[in-house]
Amino acid sequence: MTQELSEYLESIKSKARLDYSDEPGVMSELEAHIEDKLQELTEAGFTEEEAVRTCLWEMGSIKSIARQMYEAYSQGSWKQVLLASMPHFLFGLLFVLDWWHYPSWLSIALILILATTFYGWCHGKPAWVFSWLGYSLLPVVVVGLLLLYLPKGWSFMALLVYYPLALWWLLRVIVQTTRKDWLFSSLMLLPVPIIIGWFLTISPSGKFNEDSMERVYYYAPWIGLSFMVLALTIAAFIRLRQRWLRISLLAISGLLTLGVAVYSATGRLNNPAFLAPVLVMWGVLLIPPLLERQLKNGRIIPRRHRDTGFLPTV
Amino acid sequence: MEPKRDLFKGSSNSLLLSLLEQQPMYGYQIVKELEARSQGYFKFKEGTLYPALHRLEKSGLISSKWQMLSNGRQRRYYSITAKGQAKLVQEKTQWLDFFTAVSLILQPEKSGI
Repeated sequence: MTQELSEYLESIKSKARLDYSDEPGVMSELEAHIEDKLQELTEAGFTEEEAVRTCLWEMGSIKSIARQMYEAYSQGSWKQVLLASMPHFLFGLLFVLDWWHYPSWLSIALILILATTFYGWCHGKPAWVFSWLGYSLLPVVVVGLLLLYLPKGWSFMALLVYYPLALWWLLRVIVQTTRKDWLFSSLMLLPVPIIIGWFLTISPSGKFNEDSMERVYYYAPWIGLSFMVLALTIAAFIRLRQRWLRISLLAISGLLTLGVAVYSATGRLNNPAFLAPVLVMWGVLLIPPLLERQLKNGRIIPRRHRDTGFLPTV
Repeated sequence: MEPKRDLFKGSSNSLLLSLLEQQPMYGYQIVKELEARSQGYFKFKEGTLYPALHRLEKSGLISSKWQMLSNGRQRRYYSITAKGQAKLVQEKTQWLDFFTAVSLILQPEKSGI
């Protein structure tokens, strides 16, 4: 196989973003097809260069094949829908049923989240694991916030040791997820701005105190509702095939849910205090694709193969 | 040629199921067979065949199996499933009804109206 054809296949692989379990079969099949085609063309008297050029033309554009392949594989089963929306549903349920202040329920939820994430991460990182992974990052953030309340000397130690380590680990998770597909990073980080929004609602001063507890009781049904909306969003995300629809869904639903948090807290949507979570929400949707672009910069994707834009003959 | 492309898009599943009804085939063989049987009418970008085949497989209408050839190369053979057979019967009936209705309008003299 020539360098040109290898690059062609590599580009399809990169753009189709298939699951690790499906990718080898799909790529072997395309490679076998190209080998058959080249053999036929060479036997018909084509030079190697002509054969490669004709083969690439007749195979079709990278963008078109990759998009269609993505759509053939992207739709998750109903079992995956259930698994992917469950963490948001459980988190919402903790507030709707007012169980959020019982350590036993919180511990059960935490163990369930960590165990499920670990299982999914070690079993091929299917799409559903990323919504669980988002909640697994929460304990790291909560511990970081609790460390702020330590005596002065200790909080300095936390600043030196815990925060760099936590940030390094967080970045590592985001990079690994983005390597698979940046959309999964957005999916994973989607609850973060919502949680920040609610945190600012219940603790406008940035510190959690008795007033905050009272506010959580008051806002619990709304908090629950916003996570139920996220659960429905993720369910629809898993069933959708088209990538652009998935991106639009995350953007619209994320901003709407954040809007619910802001509106229920202030009665208006132009509160400057909520500029931060809105910016975080845009970051959730814009930083992962930029990060992916950076990660892929090392890969050689010749311009001539990026998108030839031609339509199928038929 | 857009209209031809749209026509193929609407009937690609039936065409693929119909070919696989006769014998199990691999991708490249399907492309050649489709081109030969339609006397060159159905010539499309070959890479786009595989997403169509994989969609059919995901829907349970066809199944696939890798086979090792004597030269050490591997090929993925597709065959129609029972669900695919039932779907094909249904689509053939719909297509024939449609074809008859169109003929009645385009060629009324041949249709005896």
